[in-house]
Amino acid sequence: MTIDWSWIGDHTDDLTSLTFSHLQAALTAVFLGLLISLPLAVVAHRVRPLRGFLLGLSNVLFTIPSIAIFVLLLPISGLTRTTTVIGLTVYTLVVLLRNTVEGLDSVPAKTKEAAKAMGTRPLRTLLTVELPLALPVIMAGVRIATVMSISLVSVATYIGDGGLGQLFTDGFQRDFPTPVIVGVVLTLLLAVVADAALVALQYVLTPWKRRRA
Amino acid sequence: MFELFKNLAKWLTSGSQWAGTDGIAHRLAEHLQYSLLATLIAAAIGLPLGLLIGHTGKGAFLAINLASFGRALPTVGLVVLVFLASGLSMWPVYIALVALAVPSIVTNTYAGMTAVDPDVKDAARGQGMRGHQVLFQVELPLALPLIMTGLRLALIQVVSTATVAAYVSFGGLGRFVFDGLAQRDLVQVLGGAVLVAVVAIVLDLGLSGLQRFLFRHRTA
Amino acid sequence: MNRRTLLGALAGTAVAVPVLSSCASGVTSLDGGGSTGGGSASSKNGVTIGTANFTENQVLGYLYAAALEAAGVKVKVRPNLGTREIVFPALKSGDIDLLPEYQGSLLTYLQPRSKVAEAGEMQNALTLALPSGLQVLPYGIAEDADCFVVTRATARKYGLTSLADLAKHNGKLVIGASAEVKTRQVGVVGLKDVYGVEFKEFKSLDSDGPLVKGALKKGDVDVANLFTTDTDIKANDWVVLTDPKTLIPSQHIVPLIADRVADPTVRKALARLGNLLTTAQLTELNRQVDKDKKDPEDVANTYAKQHGITK
Repeated sequence: MTIDWSWIGDHTDDLTSLTFSHLQAALTAVFLGLLISLPLAVVAHRVRPLRGFLLGLSNVLFTIPSIAIFVLLLPISGLTRTTTVIGLTVYTLVVLLRNTVEGLDSVPAKTKEAAKAMGTRPLRTLLTVELPLALPVIMAGVRIATVMSISLVSVATYIGDGGLGQLFTDGFQRDFPTPVIVGVVLTLLLAVVADAALVALQYVLTPWKRRRA
Repeated sequence: MFELFKNLAKWLTSGSQWAGTDGIAHRLAEHLQYSLLATLIAAAIGLPLGLLIGHTGKGAFLAINLASFGRALPTVGLVVLVFLASGLSMWPVYIALVALAVPSIVTNTYAGMTAVDPDVKDAARGQGMRGHQVLFQVELPLALPLIMTGLRLALIQVVSTATVAAYVSFGGLGRFVFDGLAQRDLVQVLGGAVLVAVVAIVLDLGLSGLQRFLFRHRTA
Repeated sequence: MNRRTLLGALAGTAVAVPVLSSCASGVTSLDGGGSTGGGSASSKNGVTIGTANFTENQVLGYLYAAALEAAGVKVKVRPNLGTREIVFPALKSGDIDLLPEYQGSLLTYLQPRSKVAEAGEMQNALTLALPSGLQVLPYGIAEDADCFVVTRATARKYGLTSLADLAKHNGKLVIGASAEVKTRQVGVVGLKDVYGVEFKEFKSLDSDGPLVKGALKKGDVDVANLFTTDTDIKANDWVVLTDPKTLIPSQHIVPLIADRVADPTVRKALARLGNLLTTAQLTELNRQVDKDKKDPEDVANTYAKQHGITK
């Protein structure tokens, strides 16, 4: 199994565009996942009876094989980026929802009471007190969801998308290891860079943690 | 949509669908074999590693980062790569599944170990316990809930991903997903997906039941 | 209808004699009258070409692209979209407009039990079987047929030269092919109906890909379903079983297109390419992609330039 270095040199443009397409799919999914799980998490946090149901549902969705989700979405959203993104979003929910609920749980009751005593309205308390304090736990979820999505995007190569995953099917069909190795390495790099960027983002978003440190 | 679910019910309950080498029963057995064996191998690698790191506190940074690196490994890419290297064999499947499961097991085992109160460990040492006694009699039992969480997570991921075996010509429930795709039979795809989900959920419930049984004395 | 059949048959004979191949373009004129519903078709807004998940289809997709671009049509290629089962619905829904297809495979996809095998008849059968909004354009002279192959050793051991010989060893041989071959006429069903063949086991592998070829090499399967343009057949000295009762249909390459973009410019450009590209040339292009690891796009563009499609 040797690497054909000249192939890599000849395909830098393709590799760049595949990498960006890969990243875009993963990030869109995490963003949508957050958009969905934030309100759901607030509901799960406040309404105890719904909590088990929502977390259980996200768990069940997580057990469905990703390839099957993509295929089953085909009659609905076709061979489009939308199919890829919906499929990936479903998988981010399990981590994002759980971590957001746990993050909200971790906010001390006293803090919330203090906000209430100061006459802060519930929505404002949520936005300015609870969510910021829950941020570290939520961000931990975002990091896991991002890395997971980046790894999963390639499954969508079975439905003609999949960013760097295209390199896997290509290499498979032609008995050609170079694209496959390059695809795996770029996926890992992408995950590492995205994770580092999220750590930096968290650092920026939680200034109070820095001052204390 | 209703039609689809009606056909699904028919597919799942028909006796002929369950029989034979390409029947549900056989595919289910194959799927369980791949998943359980891969998870066992992953546990054999991940548990000692996590315990060692947690107990000694050495190499934690490296191990945790490697684990998150491992989580980013694209399964499809790994399967294809090992396939190109080894040819038609079960290696691609097992290597990919083990690589998928190890990170969850290592990180959760390590997290469980670090969550053990240092005062408890000191107290144990103070009573004259040796290193391995502290590990097995104090740390391990206390860390067990998180370790079990890691194992359960790994098992769910492996069960759901073992569908990939069908991509490289082997069996398991993934056969229904890939063959259904090729034969334009959405019922078969859905049936395969549902069976995988059910297996994952049943195994998870089983493990959580085991967990509760193991700790039945603790909270009482 | 009669005229169509006649001309279709004419085009069919043209296949055997490449010199006469210009006759095939005679079919193009047919499309002017008849069922196209004409007026609204336009390629002005560009044509999106989809291709299935095997390399030859990508080469063809890029050849179509080169031909259309040379005719001034804006094109976009979406390579490697998946199996026909995934790509075909995308054509209907509008995600793609044009797809390089194979007569026989397309027809058995639309009508799994179809027994039509001759090229001209098949063209008509396709026209009838396609859902509204889609049509096939005149087929090209190049052909990539299904075939069933065994290794030289297996052929010797069981005395196999034709598909009929397989029936002498019913219940003993294992066949490997992609999953759909199990349920379609040009596959397990037809082999039983036409030749009385019964296999010991069917192994779901891939369409002329690394799995089925690997399994044949390793001896995991005795019989493999491959395509005639695969250079590995010759390279491995595999034996293609003959088909005396014509179970295997004609598999000329045929553009499957959405009515909305099938304007005269597109039709002419694709007909021209269809009359130019031969089976031998296509086999060579496949070899360059599969063995020399060249890009399908580059291989197609070089061919287009060498043969005067583009400058």
